[in-house]
Amino acid sequence: MGLLQEAIFGLVTGSYIAIAAIGFTLIYGIVNMINFAYGEYLTLGAFIGLVAATALPVPLPVAVLVAMIGGGIVSIVLARGFFTPINDTGPVPMLLTSIGLGIALRNAIRLVGGRSARYFDTETATFRFDAVPSLSIGPIDLLGGFFITSEHLIVIGAAAAVFVAIHGLLTRTDVGIAMRAMGDDESLARVRGIDTQLIRDSVWILAGVLAGLAGVLMAIQTNVSADTGFSHILQILSAAILGGAGSPYGAILGAYVIGLVLAVSTAFLPSSMTGLSSAVAFVILIGVLLVKPSGIAGTEVREA
Amino acid sequence: MSLLEVENLDAGYGDLQVLSNVDLHVDDGEYVTIVGPNGAGKSTVMKTIVGIATHLGGEIRYRGTDFAGAPPEEVVRKGIGYVPQSDNVFPTLTIEENLRLGAYVLDEVPEGRKRDVYDRFPALADRTDEDAGSLSGGQRQMLAMGCALMLDPDVLLLDEPSAGLAPDLVDEMFDRVDEINDAGTTVLMVEQNAKEALRRCDRGYVLAGGENRYEDDGDALLGDEEVRQQFLGG
Repeated sequence: MGLLQEAIFGLVTGSYIAIAAIGFTLIYGIVNMINFAYGEYLTLGAFIGLVAATALPVPLPVAVLVAMIGGGIVSIVLARGFFTPINDTGPVPMLLTSIGLGIALRNAIRLVGGRSARYFDTETATFRFDAVPSLSIGPIDLLGGFFITSEHLIVIGAAAAVFVAIHGLLTRTDVGIAMRAMGDDESLARVRGIDTQLIRDSVWILAGVLAGLAGVLMAIQTNVSADTGFSHILQILSAAILGGAGSPYGAILGAYVIGLVLAVSTAFLPSSMTGLSSAVAFVILIGVLLVKPSGIAGTEVREA
Repeated sequence: MSLLEVENLDAGYGDLQVLSNVDLHVDDGEYVTIVGPNGAGKSTVMKTIVGIATHLGGEIRYRGTDFAGAPPEEVVRKGIGYVPQSDNVFPTLTIEENLRLGAYVLDEVPEGRKRDVYDRFPALADRTDEDAGSLSGGQRQMLAMGCALMLDPDVLLLDEPSAGLAPDLVDEMFDRVDEINDAGTTVLMVEQNAKEALRRCDRGYVLAGGENRYEDDGDALLGDEEVRQQFLGG
């Protein structure tokens, strides 16, 4: 397979990681906590979407919408139950709570949903571009024929739509500007009359909606199981940190770097070592942080 | 009835009491300053009024109604504008966005309000889309005042507006405060540049050790031998 094909896989992976990483980094920057249970939000979103698409059944776009709404509800309910009450205790107790909540949710999902992986039944159109010439350098083909499926296009398109919507929200609306203001300085935000609990709730709902979407997209690409979200949480975390924790724009950039590095390293590594491809992403993360500790787009490391 | 009255105020941070029995009042249209040595609790008075510091006892009345202990998001809705001493703008937000949040509690920003702020502080008008974090200390202070003025507050609380400013900017800052007061806004200002503040204000309080020691017209305090000796460096 040529490098061009790997790049497309990387773009697809980067797209759903990016959507999730935006939600993750908004929670980090505004609620000021690392939410390790966020992977489970993706899993729940994927299951909600799956149930809607198979049991009801509704068309896929409606199922995606149901998953987004469900994700938002799950997120605000969990936040109100577990995180809002300990909001003043600081980042470490909240992190530990989220780790515990994640374990509990993962096992609850396994109990209810079973161990086996389930699949979205989608009709896929595949577009092939075999005429692209090869440009081989040693064992590596820099171009080569490639294909792209309608699912790929949906994932990439959905991510692009999310980026535009998030940018609009954060720069054009009072709620969005208030979210960024709270990330800067919560005390000053209160002086301006911003109801910080309302903004925190909005962030939880928004992050849940994004998790629902990312979960369904992930599930369409692969499958749905109790570990769907958890198996991606380190990539999501890495994307957020790589881009500069707290910055949605940085998270998008970080997600595509991670996605592309994962895909391309699979192509470069000998077949016996493809298991190392996820390690390559972390090598990049460590390398970037050594050079620029605040991340690619970060201006300063936020004090905890 | 005074616009803003503080009576027998005890306040601090958590269990730590900083102020005891502080009394002060500000009448409509007045320009009042609080001066005193470092650590006297000047800023704590401001922070207690706006609900950031811990209220431990006594009353804080606005137009006769006690609101002591109200959280900042309620105080700002009463028409009390507050400019903190430091960290008073959002650094990653643009100047325009900072001003927009200045009027956050208003359902609708009156026509021309922002234009007035830009007219008052023209240096801001040229760089509306730049991050506030890129501003110089003086410009940042102007923006912080501009944000408070977006509410067209009845009373403006200024916490050490000259702190950290280059000497040539200090005079300009005091001129701006004069202009704001002349335009009808009541001003309560905490200042460490005591002489200049007392020269400019209508009335002043000298605060020391968490209690108020002297109250008089600004010029009278400047002329008072004891105040000069103890607090104004002779």
